[in-house]
Amino acid sequence: MRLVSLFISILFVTCAAVAQVKVAKLDIKERSLSNGLRVVSVRDGSSPTVAIRVWYRVGGKDDPQGRSGFAHMFEHMMFKSTKNMPSEKLDRLTEDVGGFNNASTWDDYTDYYEVVPSNYLEPLLWAEAERMQNLNVDDANFASERDVVKEEFRQSVLAQPYGRLFEYINSLSYTVHPYKRGVIGDLEQLSAATPADARSFYATYYRPDNAYLIVVGDFEQQQLDTWTDKYFSHLTNPSSAIPRVTAKEPTRTAEKRYEKTAPNVPFPAVAITYLAPPSSHPDTPALDLAATILSDGESSRLYQSLVYKQQIAQDASFTFDMKVDGGLLYFFAIASEGKDGQSLERSILNELKLIQTKGVTARELARAKNQLVSQTIVALETNEGKAEAIQDGITYDNDPKAVNTSVAKLQAVTAADVLRVMRKYFTPTNRVVIHYDNEGGSK
Amino acid sequence: MFIRNLALLFILSTAIEAQVMIPEPGPSRPVAIPPITQTKLANGLTVRVVRKTGSPLITTRLVVANGAGVESRQKAGLASLTATMLTKGTKRRTATEIAESVEFLGGSIASGAGWNGSFAAITVTSDKLSQALAIFADVALNPKFAKDELDLLRTQTLDGLTYNLKQPSFLAGFVASRYSFDEHPAGGTKASISSINVPDIAGFYQQNYRPDSSILIFTGDIDAGLANSLAKRHFGRWRSPRSDAIGKGVGTSIGKGQVPLYRRIMVVDLPRSGQAAVMYAKRLYPIQRATPSFFTASVFNSIFGGGYSSRLNTEIRIKRGLSYGAGSSFAWRRSSTNFAATIQTKNESAAEVADLVLAELKRMVDTDTGESELVPRKAVIIGGFGRNFETGSQLAAALGDLFVYALPTSDLNSFIGDVNRVTAEQVREFATGNMRGGDLIIVGDYSVFKDDLAKRFSTARIDVVAADSLTLSGAEFK
Repeated sequence: MRLVSLFISILFVTCAAVAQVKVAKLDIKERSLSNGLRVVSVRDGSSPTVAIRVWYRVGGKDDPQGRSGFAHMFEHMMFKSTKNMPSEKLDRLTEDVGGFNNASTWDDYTDYYEVVPSNYLEPLLWAEAERMQNLNVDDANFASERDVVKEEFRQSVLAQPYGRLFEYINSLSYTVHPYKRGVIGDLEQLSAATPADARSFYATYYRPDNAYLIVVGDFEQQQLDTWTDKYFSHLTNPSSAIPRVTAKEPTRTAEKRYEKTAPNVPFPAVAITYLAPPSSHPDTPALDLAATILSDGESSRLYQSLVYKQQIAQDASFTFDMKVDGGLLYFFAIASEGKDGQSLERSILNELKLIQTKGVTARELARAKNQLVSQTIVALETNEGKAEAIQDGITYDNDPKAVNTSVAKLQAVTAADVLRVMRKYFTPTNRVVIHYDNEGGSK
Repeated sequence: MFIRNLALLFILSTAIEAQVMIPEPGPSRPVAIPPITQTKLANGLTVRVVRKTGSPLITTRLVVANGAGVESRQKAGLASLTATMLTKGTKRRTATEIAESVEFLGGSIASGAGWNGSFAAITVTSDKLSQALAIFADVALNPKFAKDELDLLRTQTLDGLTYNLKQPSFLAGFVASRYSFDEHPAGGTKASISSINVPDIAGFYQQNYRPDSSILIFTGDIDAGLANSLAKRHFGRWRSPRSDAIGKGVGTSIGKGQVPLYRRIMVVDLPRSGQAAVMYAKRLYPIQRATPSFFTASVFNSIFGGGYSSRLNTEIRIKRGLSYGAGSSFAWRRSSTNFAATIQTKNESAAEVADLVLAELKRMVDTDTGESELVPRKAVIIGGFGRNFETGSQLAAALGDLFVYALPTSDLNSFIGDVNRVTAEQVREFATGNMRGGDLIIVGDYSVFKDDLAKRFSTARIDVVAADSLTLSGAEFK
């Protein structure tokens, strides 16, 4: 033990003498069109590619009543035909010229994105404007895409040993907020969805005043402005207001405990969840650092305690699952062969108690900051990564430039801040415990 | 009216349709291949440096040109455990000290092994490079291979196997390694992992980790002068043992002549599985990675099952909604390659999907691919190649791959031309000569698809094994 600390202090002194690398600020341009579409761009000509994202403020939490999984299923429809574009045309404009495209649906938003050779920027802007306003929803496409989404559900939930547990984490952590339904939904409600639902959902949420266009890479600013005006400015908004989720998840008043089973679960697992504050809350950076100290890397507390020293878990992690209306802080561990879920729970709560009574060390906090700063630098290495970082600021801080201040916010966090948030949110009454095991007992 | 015309035009020619509505792309800018500097230290270690500015990150990657391909079947997983043990303690540092000090630098360190090679890599910001390299060199050159660390790693690896063997696609690949590829799973089996001890690891390291068959790669915000002096300082005293490195693995060739579309079917029964995995597996031997066949195979794959708009995904996902994704790939060795197409689908449609895979394979064998399909499928390969240079750590991995296949760095400059030279006729000949005669492997709840499979494949040899009692040494595997 003494040897460890000696080694550490030598290293620390060496580090302090070296100049710190600064995270370069992105030169972010913002403009708004008269229809409310906001355009955010960063020029970077270092490679002849451009990353494009269209972000809509609609996600799993906006699924219609009795249609859980709908926002995600609708996302799949956005690759089908429009008034002036055949189905899968987006693939012709991206994949066929050496680029790629994809889309993803989250609790709070849906994003559509492409990376293409930069000479394809104009066709892509045209195509994104086209599917913002002119989508067709035909019955045959709807039926086959619904089958694809059901296979996606089977693959990510049913065919994964712990897939169902992650659905339980949502459904058992929330009582009122639609976050409880999860983004992927369920097979029964997906089967009930109709093309009419899709048309109505599209008309309600897919509109320029509910979207951001993000462009990062090799382009001329004036050219981009001209093209965005040309292809997007004539798009209109319906006169109706955009419906917003107003449900508020009530404060938890007592611990709740659940035991769940599923087929083909090789080892018992446990999840312990706590309600987190909304993503834009000032406690977010301290919680990020707490998560890093608990769970990032093999020097983290959970790995060292549960996996390395006690050897009761093959995997032990802590996640700050950020959401706009208040996400989750959760521990998750899978037992090692022959170990049980109860000892996982005991050890996790022990680690929690330790950090709540003794706090974190200066060395731990410095390490966590270095890890997060490096991860930011890695994330900003590509055009795609820069666009995604800008998008996260839009989603979680309502600020496209949040990426430029996130590092300073992390650096300002003190050990006392970490201690305070660990005591504030991780209370016994704010706790849901889910034990998960094989149907008919462990094998 | 307009829509109908547009749709009709699309069927006739995408080029005409594009002129009607969609703005034309501008002139393209070429992807620049970054210049590569290469030197050799006196001990035989090759050092390759690529300067890449714009981000303060530096990746250092050591690649050893031997991996799971040189371990025995009884010790399957030995290369992987040896590489993983590198970061689990040295003569000067404990496992925890290594993790803590690298993470304190904000860095990430990883090590592992594939079939052809083993590697260790560290990525840090440029201000931390000198401290990071001291740790990295210690990890690579002075590993301790402590028994208690191996005991933990062995338990973790066995737990990981138990977990993965509940997943249909993993199980299919696990079985194919022996049944179809005449190899062993590179991650090991429960029996082989249980048998690996400290002398095995130390022996593998001693024999294979040597400067004369290794390469040290630097990518990122670093110039060649600094990189070479750091290489010399930290790796200059590394010595090769007198013995030669273990020879490369060899295998058997399959017979020529009348080859059926597929040979046989193996079913791995996983009751109550959430989905079935359907795999078509085919070993190609002998075929050199360092020949034009590689490019023909790549174009074949791009058409057949590589990427979203490949034929498999078009037929199985886009047209029929039978899967979330259908794809295929080649796993290259120096003188052979393993092809696998893998699709997860609901248990009810497993046999139908198997049928569709064979129908698409038959189409590759029977007909030339048209230019309107060939050109975009080549663009998929070329675009993916360009994206390999986006981050320093990807670039380091790509340079390491060239080394294990003994390919010159000029391969990067000729790559795009080599892809573009492949003809439709070559692809069809490749399919006819190499891609038939593989195996179908289906993992899932057999009770659900048994009747449909028997009906669709009434003349096939079907081997059935239970997932629960699976070993890779039963009669089916002989």
